[in-house]
Amino acid sequence: MNTTAKDTAAATDTVAERPPVFSVDGLWKVFGPKAARVPADPGLAALGPAELRSRTGCTAAVADVSFDVRQGEVFVVMGLSGSGKSTLVRCLTRLVEPTAGSITIDGEDVRAMDRSRLRALRRHRAAMVFQHFGLLPHRTVLDNVAYGLEVQGMGRAARRERAAAVVAKVGLEGLEQRRPGQLSGGQRQRVGLARALAVDPEVLLFDEPFSALDPLIRRDMQEEVVRLHREEGRTMVFITHDLQEALRLGDRIALMRDGRVVQLGTPEEIVGSPADDYVREFVRDVPREQVLTVRTAMRPAADADEAGTGPAIRPGATVSEAIEAVARAGSAARVMDEGRCLGVVDATDLLSVVAGTADGAAPAGPAAVRRTAGAARLGAAATGERRAPADPRPATTEEPA
Amino acid sequence: MATITAPAARKTAPPGILARPAARKLLALAVLAAILTPVAVTQWPGTAWPTALTVDVSAPLGRASDWIIDNRDSHPLFLYFFGHVSNAVVVAVRAVYLALLAVGWAGVTAIGALVAWRVAGVRLATGTAAAFLACGLLGMWVPTMQTLALMVVAVLASVAVGALLGLAAGLSDRMDRVLRPVLDTMQVLPAFAYLLPVVLVFGIGVPAAVLATVVYAAPPMARLTSLGLRGADKEVLEAVESLGTTARQRLLTARIPLARKELLLGVNQTIMMALSMAVIASVIGAGGLGDRVYQALASVDVGAALAAGIPIVLLAVVLDRVTSAAGERLGEAGTSPVTWLYALVVAAAVALAGRLAGFLDWPDGWGLNIAEPVNRAVDWMTAHLYSGVPVVGGTADWAAHFTSGVLNPLRDGLQWLPWWSVLLIVAALAWLIGTWRTALTAVLAMAAIGVLGVWKPSLDTLSQVLAAVAVTLAVGFATGVAAARSDRFERLLRPVLDVFQTMPQFVYLIPVVALFGVGRAPAVAAAVVYALPAVVRITAQGLRQVDPAAMESARSLGATGGQQLRQVQLPLARPALLLAVNQGVVLVLAVVIIGGLVGGGALGYQVVFGLAQGDLATGLVAGAAIVCLGLMLDRVTQPTERRTTRKGA
Repeated sequence: MNTTAKDTAAATDTVAERPPVFSVDGLWKVFGPKAARVPADPGLAALGPAELRSRTGCTAAVADVSFDVRQGEVFVVMGLSGSGKSTLVRCLTRLVEPTAGSITIDGEDVRAMDRSRLRALRRHRAAMVFQHFGLLPHRTVLDNVAYGLEVQGMGRAARRERAAAVVAKVGLEGLEQRRPGQLSGGQRQRVGLARALAVDPEVLLFDEPFSALDPLIRRDMQEEVVRLHREEGRTMVFITHDLQEALRLGDRIALMRDGRVVQLGTPEEIVGSPADDYVREFVRDVPREQVLTVRTAMRPAADADEAGTGPAIRPGATVSEAIEAVARAGSAARVMDEGRCLGVVDATDLLSVVAGTADGAAPAGPAAVRRTAGAARLGAAATGERRAPADPRPATTEEPA
Repeated sequence: MATITAPAARKTAPPGILARPAARKLLALAVLAAILTPVAVTQWPGTAWPTALTVDVSAPLGRASDWIIDNRDSHPLFLYFFGHVSNAVVVAVRAVYLALLAVGWAGVTAIGALVAWRVAGVRLATGTAAAFLACGLLGMWVPTMQTLALMVVAVLASVAVGALLGLAAGLSDRMDRVLRPVLDTMQVLPAFAYLLPVVLVFGIGVPAAVLATVVYAAPPMARLTSLGLRGADKEVLEAVESLGTTARQRLLTARIPLARKELLLGVNQTIMMALSMAVIASVIGAGGLGDRVYQALASVDVGAALAAGIPIVLLAVVLDRVTSAAGERLGEAGTSPVTWLYALVVAAAVALAGRLAGFLDWPDGWGLNIAEPVNRAVDWMTAHLYSGVPVVGGTADWAAHFTSGVLNPLRDGLQWLPWWSVLLIVAALAWLIGTWRTALTAVLAMAAIGVLGVWKPSLDTLSQVLAAVAVTLAVGFATGVAAARSDRFERLLRPVLDVFQTMPQFVYLIPVVALFGVGRAPAVAAAVVYALPAVVRITAQGLRQVDPAAMESARSLGATGGQQLRQVQLPLARPALLLAVNQGVVLVLAVVIIGGLVGGGALGYQVVFGLAQGDLATGLVAGAAIVCLGLMLDRVTQPTERRTTRKGA
């Protein structure tokens, strides 16, 4: 029921209309001498990184960033190393003290919190998973997972019981008494994930959690995150430098460069209509047919005949799914939403998406934002549960011949 | 509107020969010398330190020491502070000593073995038991217990003081900036330098011995505690903070547990340094094993010295192995409290059984008198090996030749050099190897020696140090290179180095007196033997840690073994070699000073003389000169980066 529940929820109450959990506005984090003057002075604030450094000796790790993280979404912050994404996520719980701007969680001002309020925020509302795990080497797996609860002051028996349940949830049964040094990298990160989950936070923050892992294990862990999100619908802020990971996990992606957000949008918007040359260069090698939906490729039905025949696909289906349906049926496919025919796609439309010639035509707009949350995910992560009317089998990821 | 600062001007490197920093430094120094030397020469001619520039501190020091002696029983500072400290130390040492005697030899052996078994395994447990029994067999049970009692109190105090200082330095940057140079310097000073100030305050006796030991042994604990707290994995701390911990929770559940390896290493080093000092402190009334060695050496009774020296070595090896094994076992599954309980019960049972069976004092009949056979052997050596051995000569001949052929010319040469040229050489060396700061410290330290009026004896000590360092480095580098190139040789060498590195400095005097008699040559020989293991080890490690990729590429270009060594390994291992020189110098100085006990003369002798005659002023001046000499030698050889630990480097 889980995916369908989410999909229907997305259909009725779209992500865009949910209340924001984190709301970040005009956030700055500047390192260097007299850092506060940089955001305060419009002349300095507009400078590029090299010029700012030579003029003031400061580095703006996060520069005038604004976004909302809405309830239940996976918000990915993506950028290369040094783009300020890790600093940004640390600013959210003030592990790094922001220089200027505002952060609110559920409408409450984070920057105005005193120490005990801030501790309460870190203890109960936002938990973080770290790149190099950050486990305590002298504690067993179980005690590491229970650590957050111990910090809260929970009794030994109660926290161990709760920790054991979370350990089982992330698939580490039987390893409770091991120490982190005796685990593999993937297992350690499961412990890190379990530690964050054990405190039952409102938001999970991930700081490049899988970059230190082997590609295959990384894949497993990504699926674990997708599964957890599907089961619990927890809000997640996910930092990564890996575009594939961002596209696979993100409901929305903020692409950062030199501390600024260069584009914020759904994976489809980022791939389909890059905001500038930097983003375009970035997404050049992404297989477009796996990210873009048929919405971008469809055209109005030429006549009633076209609107009445052919395989039906939902508007959120990817182009590659549509290609399979069209190839199977040998005719154009209809894009159907709740019994209504929105348009049709034929082989030419689909090919022009793959070839990249449909660029200018991409209808980046409210329609694209409203696509269902899970539809744009790459790979097999969610395909098992997808409703694909044309073909019940999972969509293939092969290149069309 | 904020003001905008102008872009900082970039420094450009000067062209030509001045591009080399060494050339720039030397040029600057030459200019400075050209201005100052003529002034110095015309103002204060002669080669020795000009008397006009000395300050006679012995009179005020003598007055101060007289005042302290007069007021020790009446002044409030002594009555209400030092008096209490002194009494507390005496009571504590006495209590531990009585407790050890009450448990009896069987009980002490059993407890030692069981503790070793729990923290380090069966092999070390047998070793521990054997070591205790050997102490008894050599007729040294009571002195061993005296030393052990003093050690227990001193180590506990050192660990407490060191951990507190380390905690402060680890948590506060300001404390760290204040403490670090002090601790760094304390670690390079010879043990002898610590004796006189405590004697001045506490007089000769157990309190002075314990406090000198604490002062000497606490710095490694403080350094390692601070290092451990600061070296904790940043991300773990961040993760812990992200879970909403309070500062206290962070310290107790993360920072201290994360530093436990360093903490245990600190305990290990503190124990080793405390043992080393507890033995040397026999000079100021520590009693126990060190006192036996001291008395025996004073009458050149090598047999008796060896009988007391062997227990010291055994104690050192056992304590080192057990504590370092405890450190290595960390992180494995913890031992359950139940086995500890069994161990405790067994130990108590053995102690009780020993008590009931009357096994409290070591039985008289179970002695092994090694003093007489050893002395017979030494007599035979004196008769047959000292001189007149065909072709090779004799050991005493060697010592005499070394003294007349190397030490005397070196000493005379140093004393012949004009004083300002000595300062110049010191400045040039220190600046070339280090920074202008180290150069300045070194020059000031050397000048302070002159000002104190002990220029000549200091140069005498310096000549011994230089001779010993030269021998140590020649032998040490050769052995280190061999050990780095041959795995088999290194395997053979390792246990020897391990044992040699754990032995207290004092013990090295025994064999050299047996071989070479008394004088400056045996002091130099003891210093060489003491410093050699560290130099060999650092050299071999440095060469072995050279980037394998660089070695491989050299091999792939067809470099011969010698070419690889000269062109790749040695240049890349330069920091390690510099460190080896630094450690060699520091360790050699420590033993050359102690060599004052066996006829080394110079500064060491003045300290001993001051203590023996109650002439504290002489001793204190010599002690201050030792501090300056130690500072100077360390700064002159100090590479820009210093390694964090001294032992086992």
